[in-house]
Amino acid sequence: MTDTFASVQRLAYLAASLLFILSLRGLSTQQTARRGNTAGVVGMALAVAVTALALRARGPASGAGMVHAEAWGLLAIAIAVGAAVGAMLAARVAMTSMPELVAILHSFVGAAAVLVGIANYLEPSADASDAVHGVEIVVGVFIGAVTFTGSVIAFGKLRGALGSKPLLLSGRHVLNALMALACVASTVVFLRAPAPAGLVPLLVVAGVASVLGAHLVLAIGGGDMPVVVSMLNSYSGWAAAAAGFMLSNDLLIVTGALVGSSGAILSFIMCRAMNRSLWSVIFGGFGAAPPPSTGPRAPVGPVQEATAEQVAELLAAARSVIVVPGYGMAVAQAQHPVKELTTLLQKRGTKVRYAIHPVAGRLPGHMNVLLAEASVSYELVEEMDEINPDFKDTDVVIVIGANDIVNPSALTDASSPIFGMPVLEVWKAARVVMMKRSMNAGYAGVDNPLAYKDNTVMLFGDAKATVTKLVAALQAKGGTA
Amino acid sequence: MRIGIPKEIHPGERRVAATPMTVARMRKLGLDVVVQAGAGEASDYGDGAYLETGATIAPDAASLWAQADLVLKVRPPEAIPEGELHEADLLKEGGALIGLVWPGQNQALVERLSLRRATVLAMDAVPRITRAQKMDALSAMANIVGYRSVIEGASHLGRFLGGQMTAAGRVAPAKVLVLGAGVAGLAAIACARSLGAVVRAFDTRPQVREQVESLGATFVEMPALESGEGEGGYAKEMSPAFIAAEQALIAQHTESSDVVVCTALVPGKVAPQLVTSGAVVSMQQGSVIVDLAAEQGGNCALTEKGRLVEKFGVKILGFTDLASRMSRQSSDLYATTVCNLLADVLEAGGVDIALDLEDEIHRGVVVLQDGKLLWPPPTRPRPRSAAPLAAAAAAPSTPVVARAPSRIGPLLGGLVAVALLAAGVVAGGEFVEHLTVFLLACVVGWHVIWNVNPALHTPLMSVTNAISGIILVGGILLMRTGSIGAATLLAAVAILIATINVAGGFLVTARMLRMFRR
Repeated sequence: MTDTFASVQRLAYLAASLLFILSLRGLSTQQTARRGNTAGVVGMALAVAVTALALRARGPASGAGMVHAEAWGLLAIAIAVGAAVGAMLAARVAMTSMPELVAILHSFVGAAAVLVGIANYLEPSADASDAVHGVEIVVGVFIGAVTFTGSVIAFGKLRGALGSKPLLLSGRHVLNALMALACVASTVVFLRAPAPAGLVPLLVVAGVASVLGAHLVLAIGGGDMPVVVSMLNSYSGWAAAAAGFMLSNDLLIVTGALVGSSGAILSFIMCRAMNRSLWSVIFGGFGAAPPPSTGPRAPVGPVQEATAEQVAELLAAARSVIVVPGYGMAVAQAQHPVKELTTLLQKRGTKVRYAIHPVAGRLPGHMNVLLAEASVSYELVEEMDEINPDFKDTDVVIVIGANDIVNPSALTDASSPIFGMPVLEVWKAARVVMMKRSMNAGYAGVDNPLAYKDNTVMLFGDAKATVTKLVAALQAKGGTA
Repeated sequence: MRIGIPKEIHPGERRVAATPMTVARMRKLGLDVVVQAGAGEASDYGDGAYLETGATIAPDAASLWAQADLVLKVRPPEAIPEGELHEADLLKEGGALIGLVWPGQNQALVERLSLRRATVLAMDAVPRITRAQKMDALSAMANIVGYRSVIEGASHLGRFLGGQMTAAGRVAPAKVLVLGAGVAGLAAIACARSLGAVVRAFDTRPQVREQVESLGATFVEMPALESGEGEGGYAKEMSPAFIAAEQALIAQHTESSDVVVCTALVPGKVAPQLVTSGAVVSMQQGSVIVDLAAEQGGNCALTEKGRLVEKFGVKILGFTDLASRMSRQSSDLYATTVCNLLADVLEAGGVDIALDLEDEIHRGVVVLQDGKLLWPPPTRPRPRSAAPLAAAAAAPSTPVVARAPSRIGPLLGGLVAVALLAAGVVAGGEFVEHLTVFLLACVVGWHVIWNVNPALHTPLMSVTNAISGIILVGGILLMRTGSIGAATLLAAVAILIATINVAGGFLVTARMLRMFRR
């Protein structure tokens, strides 16, 4: 009976693994994305259900112990509460806060991995004398702890609760190495200690790894958060895989590896888009740390400021317009007025498109989600490589709350911290309208020469209010172009 | 430094290399200027106008050349008709010269100038880069020539260019065909369009279609055999087979054209023959061909350099002095480009020429430096510009910054591989099985993600995030044994937070995906 069930369980795990692969695969195109999500849900439900049933089937085999009803009760309560909280978060979160949500969810996986590791050690039946098993536990706890605090710091930075500027301690690489060494030393102590006494070194590993995770993410500038978030996504996968090793569970291993490697690729794709090295993101701070002098510099030169009415004039006369959204649009929740503006322009016969930089916003694909929320047809939305050659034939480019991704010094100024990052070459258009809250430097702390170009006009103010004003001004003009 | 402005001696040349306006600018730069009497007369600038700006007047060529340290000219120096003298020999020993020198075609002249230990800058060699546009004399002249070609053609055509509805009957607009859409061709198109003609244009470079169309002309498509885009935005020379096909295509269009403007030139080469005598025969009586390539042999087989001829009832204009026919305009623009170059090569704050051979412009224009031959400049890759006019819009090309391949990557990868192998050997058995599964799953994950549409990165991340909540299963497994103790309680907490992750991740993904719709 039990053997049969064990086979059923293995087959169910296999099915769940395949469903997860299908899920990731489905998420690669718009047409199959929803099916992909459903596959993931089914896979997860299957995995949880089978494991829970196994509690009942296997219970007697492990000898007299916990009453099943109690285990089931505890399980049911934990799952019910967790699901309710998760559903509430998912329903309440504003699309503009997606990056924060994803970051905090990563931290949950990290924390869960730490707890599972410690619980596994404390489990009475655990055979801690097995060195391999011991190492597996330590690795799981280590990755989990790094993921946990790293994600919490990322959450804080995205929230704005922590400053976006990288914290670059001198000798931070040495510090990281020392912390790693401390973890190795604790592991040795842990492996030699008899069963319950190993808890102390294990907690030391968890503690040191937590500091390490926080320190690694603190050293990364806010502008690179999209990469960090997807890197943490990868870590959360590795944490799950490590748990699989310690529990001898192939489903956890497979699923964790899937998530881990897919997250790593996503980070790699991001890094390539920003001309960054992946290693510098993993180890915190860019290989060559920007010298302190490259902080926000005083703005140089005069800028041309325009009113909403003047910009409406420009737009009314334009035949082709490209909108470049950035984090400022997300912060101001301006995606709906922006959609209204572009619809109005389209009705006048103007060709309108959106240009999305791979790292616009604070999360990969962040802008796409916001535009989708405002029901912008995704066929109007173009990627950087597709649209860069078109700027020169464009009459007006509207940059809404974007800064570093349209900064020409990335191409021209070798001393700029963002030098070498491909950017949207908006300055090639006939006119550029830059909407900003103020003349402050962007998230990367770099001044933007685009503002001082002859063909650039600045439109200051909150993006939502400004775009709404533009819509009104354009409507007042009436007629078609 | 004293600048000399001689009177041009080439027959029919009416331009002058400096106008009172540019003389005033040079005076402001601290330069002395001496102008030969009557130098600007043909461009409607009397000696008085130069005097007012602070120049002095030299009575004749000999005294002018003797005084000047730097001579500004339009045409290359040539033999003075009366007497045995050559302008090159009049140049001061160690003096300087700026003008349209055409060093490629005038090697004997360059040698002669090098004997004078002269420094010579060629206006025709200004590189076609954005920064040098204000010094681009050839484009400035081509613009004038293109405009004038249509005016000349129209004046020899016995009808309106534009269409009209009059009480005396309806007039259809004339048809103008422009061969070659460089600066001159585009100027001709613009002029013909503004006079109301229907304009078609032909060019071997398909990239210029957009510019042709932006001026309101129709682009005549050449079946794609090879692109005519050569170095620096100029056209290149094509194969004989291509030219034959080209001639046939053009003949179809010349037949129905009232005015044909030929502007096709390949730098330093004989002009391609585009309009055959057969094509001329089939044209309507009274039609006009204006051949701007006459100087280099002409685009039309029947063109005679410098003359107006009538063949088979078609007037063929082979004038080579179109710029001089608008000498005031030409002088104004040419003098400005010369003055811009002069200002660029002057030492900062000083009055002497200081050439910086690292500078792309300086290196391009310098033919001789103190008698030493520096022409042609070493070729260097130029930023591509679709066509001469487009150079205005072309910004510096994007630098592609290659990152040195990281050495940490392979090193770390190697370390991980060795560590895993060692662990496998030590641990053996079950661990190796798990390792197999793990590595295979990594490879699958790696492949599944590559083709993700970037727009879906956020949903993908939130779904993988939900899936990583699979650690929930780990928590459940830990509840399988023992009474409720520390281990089970910790596991319960792990299950709780992992479930938040699972539910939150999947639900928010579903919510996002609902928004992605067409």
